[in-house]
Amino acid sequence: MGRITLEKVTKSFGAIDVLHGIDLDIGEGEFVVFVGPSGCGKSTLLRQIAGLDRPSNGEIRIDGTLVNDVPASDRGLAMVFQSYALYPHMSVRQNLAFGLENARMPKAEIDARIAEAARMLEIGDYLERRPGQLSGGQRQRVAIGRAIVRNPTAFLLDEPLSNLDAELRISMRAELAALHGRLKTTMIYVTHDQIEAMTLADRIVVLRKGRVEQVGSPLELYNRPANRFVAGFIGAPSMNFLSGRIEGVSEAGTLLRLFDGEVVTVPRRAEAAHAGEDVSVGLRPQHMRVAQAGENGVPVTIDMVEALGSETVVHSHAPTGELVLAVLQGQHNLSRGHNLKLSFHPDDLHLFDKNDRRVAGT
Amino acid sequence: MKANGLLSASQSVLMAVVSRVMGIVDVPLRYLQRKAGQNGMAAFFLAPNMAIFAVFVLVPFVINFVYSLTGGSAIFLSERSFVGAEQYREIFACGNYLDPNTCKQDVFWIAAGNTAAFVVLQVSLMIVAALITALILNREIIGRGFWRAVFFFPVLLSPVVTGLIWRWIFQRQGVLNAVMQGLGLEPHDWLTERNSAFFASIGVSIWAHVGFYTLILLAGLQAIPKDLYEAAQMDGTSRSRVFWRITLPLLMPNLIVVLVLALIRAVQIFDEAFVLTHGGPGTSTMYLVQYIYETGFASELRNPGLAAAASILMGAVLVVLTLVQMAASRRSEKKGAR
Repeated sequence: MGRITLEKVTKSFGAIDVLHGIDLDIGEGEFVVFVGPSGCGKSTLLRQIAGLDRPSNGEIRIDGTLVNDVPASDRGLAMVFQSYALYPHMSVRQNLAFGLENARMPKAEIDARIAEAARMLEIGDYLERRPGQLSGGQRQRVAIGRAIVRNPTAFLLDEPLSNLDAELRISMRAELAALHGRLKTTMIYVTHDQIEAMTLADRIVVLRKGRVEQVGSPLELYNRPANRFVAGFIGAPSMNFLSGRIEGVSEAGTLLRLFDGEVVTVPRRAEAAHAGEDVSVGLRPQHMRVAQAGENGVPVTIDMVEALGSETVVHSHAPTGELVLAVLQGQHNLSRGHNLKLSFHPDDLHLFDKNDRRVAGT
Repeated sequence: MKANGLLSASQSVLMAVVSRVMGIVDVPLRYLQRKAGQNGMAAFFLAPNMAIFAVFVLVPFVINFVYSLTGGSAIFLSERSFVGAEQYREIFACGNYLDPNTCKQDVFWIAAGNTAAFVVLQVSLMIVAALITALILNREIIGRGFWRAVFFFPVLLSPVVTGLIWRWIFQRQGVLNAVMQGLGLEPHDWLTERNSAFFASIGVSIWAHVGFYTLILLAGLQAIPKDLYEAAQMDGTSRSRVFWRITLPLLMPNLIVVLVLALIRAVQIFDEAFVLTHGGPGTSTMYLVQYIYETGFASELRNPGLAAAASILMGAVLVVLTLVQMAASRRSEKKGAR
């Protein structure tokens, strides 16, 4: 139970198209994260699934049943809102019981479910308090508890950690992952924070301007981004993009000339590309290192150095003006204005054509 | 460009004038602050308002209280005799407080009874009307801004104008009867039949004030986060349960403010009702303020002392209601802070 299928789902508000034909199959018990920049349509998509909005076109199925016209409360889903949406005039216990009372559940059953949720989320000590008397983290647990007591087919979580401070967000993230492990219920999680997406998801759905850019496991997206947008969005700090040109494609891979004239062989054929085509060369900051004497590399001038102890983050620019960020392991004696060469392994290069589509890379 | 240049030139002249004036004012104020200290300065700035309050509120209130302890029909205090609590005894001289006819000042008790009935009916009906209107105006309806303005418009009218408009509608040869006759219905004596006149005064008062209270409730409704309604929707909450369990409790601070403000205002009912019915027929729409006005100034057997005593009693009721409002406001502020 808990399989959710979307077929060609669109949503328009007047003349503005927010979702453009979303196809998605979310498996039973899967933890799927919708991620993308603000305004990409991730929350709108979640609301279509929840039943808080009706799609303009397309079909939404839960466990094979078409639910386009099924009210939100009858879809068997529970939602955790960004603002928690706890009823401020009710105690925690009343908040948890409210939905169950609507379903005319016997009081003994309600009490049992509340007790179980309170035990699971460790909120038993403040069941009689009101939301206003709780900290952000406690409110978040109550909001999750309100979803848990309904015993839903799937949980829908709309940026549930975004109102918490950084430290609490990390601990709540771990708790959510553990909770999913215990409940094994389908969870759809919306966030704009790609670290949350990477740490929580079984699969990530990257959205941009109402379209799915790529669906895959976190490492799949990190290692094989389908396009330049995904490559830039997944991974922190963001991938560097340098200009280059394909010199030729052979059995050995793709011969690439970088902006500075250096020629490297990317050990993978750029199937859709041909010699003479300009490409974007993607290189993650973590995959760069200071070139040894005589070694080839990208010449840069340092703009800023962040010495973090275990690593050194170098902000620099290439002679073409392209910004290059490097995360170097350990401590380095570097400073602003310093010229150096940053080398990389050809295996770590990602190539994108003029339409930003991936043409080669590991 | 030229206009901008002129503007900035006039602005700099203005700034120069302001800064010159500030420079002149600054010297004595700094001297005063050195002498009087920070609290003394607060008292200094409050003094003009306190003086106005004293002249127009406090002193008249004290004079009114002194009047209530005097007798006779003379206007000037020097010509009036001290009678102690005689005016209050006069008001409270009743065989049975539930039957105004057994009271020496029967009209006072009739007016008090009318005012009480008016307050209960007008306030309860108006709050319901304001709530319904606010709920409707809070929805995505066509021309929402227009409807909001329409409901608020009567609040801007002078009570006398309101009274005249509705007298023109309700009078024997008025618009309402003309419409009824046009529809083949019998005309009705809206303002000369006891119950009709009473309910007409309530209706007119509601019409005149409902917009103000609607606005307060509308602000309250708009302050309720939309997420709560969506959470309720996910919880499968029926519309009536959403209203009773979510909207109403969260609107309660606004409702309490509206209730107390409306109560205070209703107790003071006078102008529009007086213009509409002159207190008639008989004494059926005679309210306390009209009684005070007529006893003190308008009747041939005027008795300023009695009117002053009646106004002190009414003032006491208003003080109680104001204290309730302040307590309610403090409570809702505390709740808001939580």
